[in-house]
Amino acid sequence: MKRLCKLKSTRQLSHAPTTVLTTRRRTLSSSSSSSFDIKNVTKSNFESVLKDLRGLLRDADFVAVDLEMTGVTSAPWRESFEFDRYDIRYLKVKDSAEKFAVVQFGVCPFRWDSHKQSFIAHPHNFYIFPRQEIPGSNQCCEFLCQTTSLDFLAKYQFDFNLCIREGISYLSRSQEEEALERISSIYMDESSDSVFGLREDADFPLVRMADVLFAERMKNTIREWRDSLLSKGSSSSEIKQTSTGSSQRFQMVFFKTRPGLALSGFTSRQLRVIKAVTKKHFKDLAYIRVAGEATSPRQLIVYTDSNDDRDLLMKEVKDGLRKEAEIKVRSAVGFRHVIDLLSSERKLIVGHNCFLDMAHIYSKFIGPLPSTAEDYVSSFQKFFPSIIDTKILLNANGVFRQRLDKNSTSLSKAFVSICPQIALGVKTSGLADRPCVEVEVQVDEKRSSNWNSGAKHEAGYDAFMTGCIFAQACNHLGIDFTLHVLAGDLAKESKLQNYINRLYLSWISGDVIDLSTGICTTDSSASSNLKSRYQELSFPSIVLLWGFPAKLKAREIRACIAQAFGPNSVSTVFHLDESAVFIQFSKPELVSKFMEIKETLSRNNDPISVLHPLSNILNGEYTHAATYDVYRQICSSSISKILFADQAEAVIIKHKTVLSRGKQGNQVFDKENEVSALDEKVDDPMSPPYGYSETEKSAESFYLDEILASK
Amino acid sequence: MLQRRLICSRISNTVVQSNPAPSQSKWSVNQVTKSNFSVALEQISTCISDSDFIAVSLKNTGVYSAPWQRILPIDTAHTAYLKAKYTAERFQVLQFAVCPFSTNGSKLIVHPYNFHLFPRDELKIGMPSYNFSCQSSYLTSMAQEGFDFNACIYDGISYLSKSQESAAIDRIVNAAPISCTVQTPSGYTVADSVFAERIKSRVKNWITACKDTNKKPEDTLISSLRKIVSGDELYGCRPCLSIDVCSESQVRLVLKTLKDFVDVIPLLTPAKEGTIRPVRVVLSSSEEDRILLQELENDRKEHNKCLRGFRGVIDLVSDSQKPVVAHNSLNDFTFIHSKFLAPLPSTLDEFRRSLGLVFPNVLDVNHLMKEISPLTKLNNLPTSISYLKQRFFAPMDIEIRNQAEVYEVKTLGHDVVKISQLFAKLWSILKIAPKTPEAVAGHFPDAIECYTNSFNPFFTSSHGPANEDVSVWTDNARKISIKNLIFLWGFKGVTSAGKLKNLLYGSHEVFHNEFDVKMVDRSCAVIAFGNPGFSEVLMQLMDSGGICTNTLQEMLADGLRAAGYETYQKVCELGLWEADLASSMEKALEESESFSDAQSKERSRICPNNGEVINLDEL
Repeated sequence: MKRLCKLKSTRQLSHAPTTVLTTRRRTLSSSSSSSFDIKNVTKSNFESVLKDLRGLLRDADFVAVDLEMTGVTSAPWRESFEFDRYDIRYLKVKDSAEKFAVVQFGVCPFRWDSHKQSFIAHPHNFYIFPRQEIPGSNQCCEFLCQTTSLDFLAKYQFDFNLCIREGISYLSRSQEEEALERISSIYMDESSDSVFGLREDADFPLVRMADVLFAERMKNTIREWRDSLLSKGSSSSEIKQTSTGSSQRFQMVFFKTRPGLALSGFTSRQLRVIKAVTKKHFKDLAYIRVAGEATSPRQLIVYTDSNDDRDLLMKEVKDGLRKEAEIKVRSAVGFRHVIDLLSSERKLIVGHNCFLDMAHIYSKFIGPLPSTAEDYVSSFQKFFPSIIDTKILLNANGVFRQRLDKNSTSLSKAFVSICPQIALGVKTSGLADRPCVEVEVQVDEKRSSNWNSGAKHEAGYDAFMTGCIFAQACNHLGIDFTLHVLAGDLAKESKLQNYINRLYLSWISGDVIDLSTGICTTDSSASSNLKSRYQELSFPSIVLLWGFPAKLKAREIRACIAQAFGPNSVSTVFHLDESAVFIQFSKPELVSKFMEIKETLSRNNDPISVLHPLSNILNGEYTHAATYDVYRQICSSSISKILFADQAEAVIIKHKTVLSRGKQGNQVFDKENEVSALDEKVDDPMSPPYGYSETEKSAESFYLDEILASK
Repeated sequence: MLQRRLICSRISNTVVQSNPAPSQSKWSVNQVTKSNFSVALEQISTCISDSDFIAVSLKNTGVYSAPWQRILPIDTAHTAYLKAKYTAERFQVLQFAVCPFSTNGSKLIVHPYNFHLFPRDELKIGMPSYNFSCQSSYLTSMAQEGFDFNACIYDGISYLSKSQESAAIDRIVNAAPISCTVQTPSGYTVADSVFAERIKSRVKNWITACKDTNKKPEDTLISSLRKIVSGDELYGCRPCLSIDVCSESQVRLVLKTLKDFVDVIPLLTPAKEGTIRPVRVVLSSSEEDRILLQELENDRKEHNKCLRGFRGVIDLVSDSQKPVVAHNSLNDFTFIHSKFLAPLPSTLDEFRRSLGLVFPNVLDVNHLMKEISPLTKLNNLPTSISYLKQRFFAPMDIEIRNQAEVYEVKTLGHDVVKISQLFAKLWSILKIAPKTPEAVAGHFPDAIECYTNSFNPFFTSSHGPANEDVSVWTDNARKISIKNLIFLWGFKGVTSAGKLKNLLYGSHEVFHNEFDVKMVDRSCAVIAFGNPGFSEVLMQLMDSGGICTNTLQEMLADGLRAAGYETYQKVCELGLWEADLASSMEKALEESESFSDAQSKERSRICPNNGEVINLDEL
């Protein structure tokens, strides 16, 4: 009854799509199921959850993960095409992982309980947000959002407020290293005191009347305090008595066994005046800035006995600041601690169609993505030695494929058909007369054997579903979990070896990459209908054409070329978007021929060339043609224009050399090394995807410092 | 689950609500999302027509990705525009506050509305925006101000820009004609009036020709030739004439001219982005016929209203032709132009022209502040307001005339009220009180005239030709010609301008006298020479070597590079927005080298052919 009321209020509150509501209703109808909230993790409870998660991950047999991102493709032509070679597929995934942010990270450790003969799952739902925690760092704090993706997340009631306000921040390994290096270089450099406010800068110009008066008053106050200090009388009380207004502003403190005054409630300009006054008039007082309890620094005036003492004090302050900065960097690591745990425990990681997820993990938490798939794969394996993709598992197995209606292997559908007892709370016989695997969910102290949170496309729940599918699939393969608990390594199971470390590079083409070898194969079973159509894909005989008149349709282009080269010369014309096409010729020789004609047509404007059949498509002055390698270069650029033609122009403006060669049309015959030399040029600018950017404030002060220095 | 998600966002709202800044809590701003948009649109429409001015203020998802990509004092109006353009093209407006206001003595009557926008793809055609960039620091600070991202993304109002709208209609109903409201163009040139006259006489001739009943049956060839010559065609069963135009302003002129003819109806054919299609004129035979056609047009307009969404507000503001007040006009209006009008043109002049057709009077409070305190840097609203409060007596009672619902989050969109307040104060301080509403609508007092439509980032009091002088010092009004600026990069391990200056001092004759060094970002510095010829001397030294001290030679060997201001301009023009200015400059230099190579080649190739070009159309 209580639950019913709760449901009613939910309905009144939400503008949720009906699908979610029906899930809820279904939850209600199966009396045995219970629903409590998934473990949501934000900034506030991250520390405590991390502590518990450490143990859970250590004991886990496998860990399921899932990510929610702010987008997938930065431009329509960056979507996956059948015409993409596997290296281009990687470049597209790389572009996506570099540009978009991860907003939710689901981690769900599964442990086999041999007494209960069931798995115990601990779904966690981390809200993460790339907040810039360290000022002035190179950390990428700019990210792209795809409108449709945000809309999709909104449809499933994603809480953007929680994510932005309370999301856990992170630093990748390379960002952390870089930040620490920068700190050490700053603090090693004796002369760069200015960076942390110890600079012995020139006299602060007292031009304003207010400044002069203020300086005079401060001089008196400080002198009074110092004199009272030296006279060893009732020092601290005196200041309070003399000026009641300033009693909160000055506070008598001891700093590293030295007497000092803590300043508070001054503006930054006033502080600068005080600093100048201290420097000018009191040789035995030092003005220092130390990190306070809160985020704001504390300003102090400290009394020192001698010059040596003063230097010592400065050194101590400096070391303190350095330590502080280092701690700040360490704490900014944030969510990466979870990834480090996953990596160091070397557990079997389970994902669903997870190549993009893994690329995100690499680029966000390890370092910049390498420029080729081979480098990436070998580097990735060092951190995560064993990964399993449930999509591969489901497709490779006939029984599952039968069960999944019409080749639909989307996560939620697979979950319902593979694990009906968990998804729907229905007791079924399981697959092929094997009993179903029981999965018990534990969140904090609450446990349930058929838990259903009902929130699809929430990373934590998606991870849970993925893990359940995997458990069920293992069960079907005849894996004895109890045996592995004793052995402790599910990843070594021989029955899984055919599936482990194999990920779909692209689901559309069925390209599968083997992470341990870097070899790319095609899974013929994946989407066989598509494959048969493009079986005769040969990349050397493809020409890329862009910038042609907008109304030109693929059929017309095809007809034009057929007129020039013969009816069987073109096998396919495929639109990347409205501004560009791929033309697949029947023979590679035709490519060079086509490029030659394009070159002559663009050079000559005589009547004969105007009447050439190809002039229809080639006569626009913005029309360009290029070989497949140019496509690769264009894809590897960090720029993302919405239209392919604009993108190509932008990339080529940046690399005119490429264009001049491209225009010659002899690229096909370029030697291998020449191509790779070009590649380097293209790859170079993309290494920092978005530059560093400082917060407005720090940049401002940076500039101010310059002004002061120049005076 | 769902409940939990909703609750958490509600809680966070109340948390924010409980501690708003005390001075702001009294202002209630009407918060508008998809659900109450149509009501608000009607309300604001009357508010706009009742008010003298309209203040606008935008909240974006970010501003710049690298320090040097901010608009800096060293930027000319041109480079500043290019920077603003780059920003407006990538980031997104999430909040658009509009506040029609009027002043009456010391009373300020405001009608603040805060619209939450989200570029949702309502038509599933990849518009208004496929994707957009976010700077996490901006989102964080918006969150701190109590911005509700859930409300924005779930319920934000979508929109289409003018050019997108025509493209969308083009795509949905192929080439369905739409009509457009006639706006009075802001100013006529001689060319304009000649054009208008020509159109008038042409339409007149055409109408008489059409109405000429005793036409003889013509030969098909002759009639088709006539069609080509006169642009005569049929729209349905009615005669129709198409008039070629080459710009938006000409479209307006044509529409205005056509108002004089009672029995014709103008039709605007939707065009693709950037291109302009001819205006078609349909001749109707009777009054009822004309009304029917007009009604059909109105139906289409109604349908288009749904398409353009929030742009309806922009159209209202534009149609009212009232002065628009902004705080950072270059930034805000590049955003407005790119999101609600059309893609941004490539130069500032074109931008001014194109924007001027829609918003003839734009005032920037920042520029007005400069009039009062030319030296002080007053870049944000609160400091400007407190500055005025300290120095001038200009009491201003704010009266808010919206019945904003009580449960709304109240802290959002206050900037726009502050802009109104600041403007009203400035208005009374500068003693240019609006006498009558008519005076405001059409003409400004001279004192204010020079402030309108100046999109220079750093205001120079003349409206005249683009000033090529920039300032290097943020707190100093001194200007320096861009010819005397040299960009230096490739100095290793030098982190401050002071150090660099010390290193350079005395290393060469140009570095003896007056020169100044400023860091643009970590990687690149700018040197300002007091002596006009010195920048060329330095460039020569960098290119061909010369007598200099060891330090400078060391630095040159270590990879010190230099370039003049034109390279910096090139960086902005080509859009080489790298993280470090140094690498951008390097790219721009490479570019100009390869470009000059290519150009010389091109020239030799093209010239011989020049006379032989045959234009098929002439045959």
